[in-house]
Amino acid sequence: MTGDGCTYCEDDVLAYVAGELAAEADLEMSVHLGDCVECRESAADFKALEPIISECCRDEAIYWHTFESPFGRMFVAATCKGVARLTWRSLTEDGFREWIGEQHPGRPLIRDPEALADVERQVKEYFRGERTEFDMDVDLGVLSGFERGVLEELDEAIRFGQVIPYSELAKRIGKPKAARAVGNAVGANPVPIIVPCHRVVRLDGSLGGYGGGVKYKERLLEIEGREDLLKVG
Amino acid sequence: MTPVSARAGEAGRAGDAGIVAPDRLEGWIEGYGPELRRHLTRMLPSEADADDLLQEVWVRAMRKPPEPGPGSNVRAWLYRVTTNVALDRLATDSRRCCALVGRRLELAPEPASAPDETLRALSPAARFRVREKVATLPPKQREAVWLRWVEGRDYEAIAARLDCSQASARANVYNGMKRLRVELLDVWNEENGR
Repeated sequence: MTGDGCTYCEDDVLAYVAGELAAEADLEMSVHLGDCVECRESAADFKALEPIISECCRDEAIYWHTFESPFGRMFVAATCKGVARLTWRSLTEDGFREWIGEQHPGRPLIRDPEALADVERQVKEYFRGERTEFDMDVDLGVLSGFERGVLEELDEAIRFGQVIPYSELAKRIGKPKAARAVGNAVGANPVPIIVPCHRVVRLDGSLGGYGGGVKYKERLLEIEGREDLLKVG
Repeated sequence: MTPVSARAGEAGRAGDAGIVAPDRLEGWIEGYGPELRRHLTRMLPSEADADDLLQEVWVRAMRKPPEPGPGSNVRAWLYRVTTNVALDRLATDSRRCCALVGRRLELAPEPASAPDETLRALSPAARFRVREKVATLPPKQREAVWLRWVEGRDYEAIAARLDCSQASARANVYNGMKRLRVELLDVWNEENGR
């Protein structure tokens, strides 16, 4: 790690590069870097690494936040492109971290309540009946192109209080025979509530399934004033 | 050395705010120039580079002089500026940049001089490789390195985010950086059959 007679280790070099040494130690290390090839090389490497990491990894982080909701504890995660996950599965914080780590392997996972405060606010407003649409970017990058197309069409076309049968949604995306595949795509929605997969129902008027459990679908349709649908189911 | 230091200190009193007074700078050049030049020649492969970079040191010193005050040590501060200038040169030296990122050919054929240009020249493949290496760090190290170098957070903020002590936040940053250095160099060595 160090050259002949060199008493410094890489941590000392890192502390120097980061500007964390006291004045006297800083001067000693400055002078030492003139003498010791190995420390100099590692200092130059660390100097080179810093902007490379910053340049290559700036968009990599996944931010997350957790808050209480009428459905229980809610977890939200976002990339630089938008909200990528919303879930109220009964998870501990560690459980959520583990789960999100499996979905997005290798990405830095940063808890950031400030960055996601607006998502929390909008979701809570929706639950209180004070909001009929969400104003935020979503990142559906985990989905296939087909799944994304289905959810984008749903998000675009079906407003608060409206519902659409799976088969109708299949027609809207130009694949009238793909009702089942459309159902699967809707079921794969990583950001329920925000992208309104609860507004997709069966052709006979029954509610159909819901990833989180059909009781949640009923509650969401109630919030949107569609109690009429619940009686049929 | 004492008379020179005293003179260098006195000369600058009038112009402490913002850009340093010319007579103060002259005092520094006269008092510390020779030893800083020697320091640069030890750090850099060529003597011509040393003369170039010494000019850069005076420019930086003029633009952003040290905080005046009883604790300020001009010599230590000038050494730091000088060492940083030399390390910046070594760090942006295209060889080391390539070595750290992975493959020589992934960089644009024209050697870039400024650090930003070198970075912009990184190919998608090289960027992918860096991300891949960062992704293989243990989660806490990955997050600590990211918070420190991408978000520029201090250890207090990193400790709060990672729910650990500041000492542990720092250790995670350091261990992550050490591991990345080794891994990125290894990739290059493997590819070049060393």
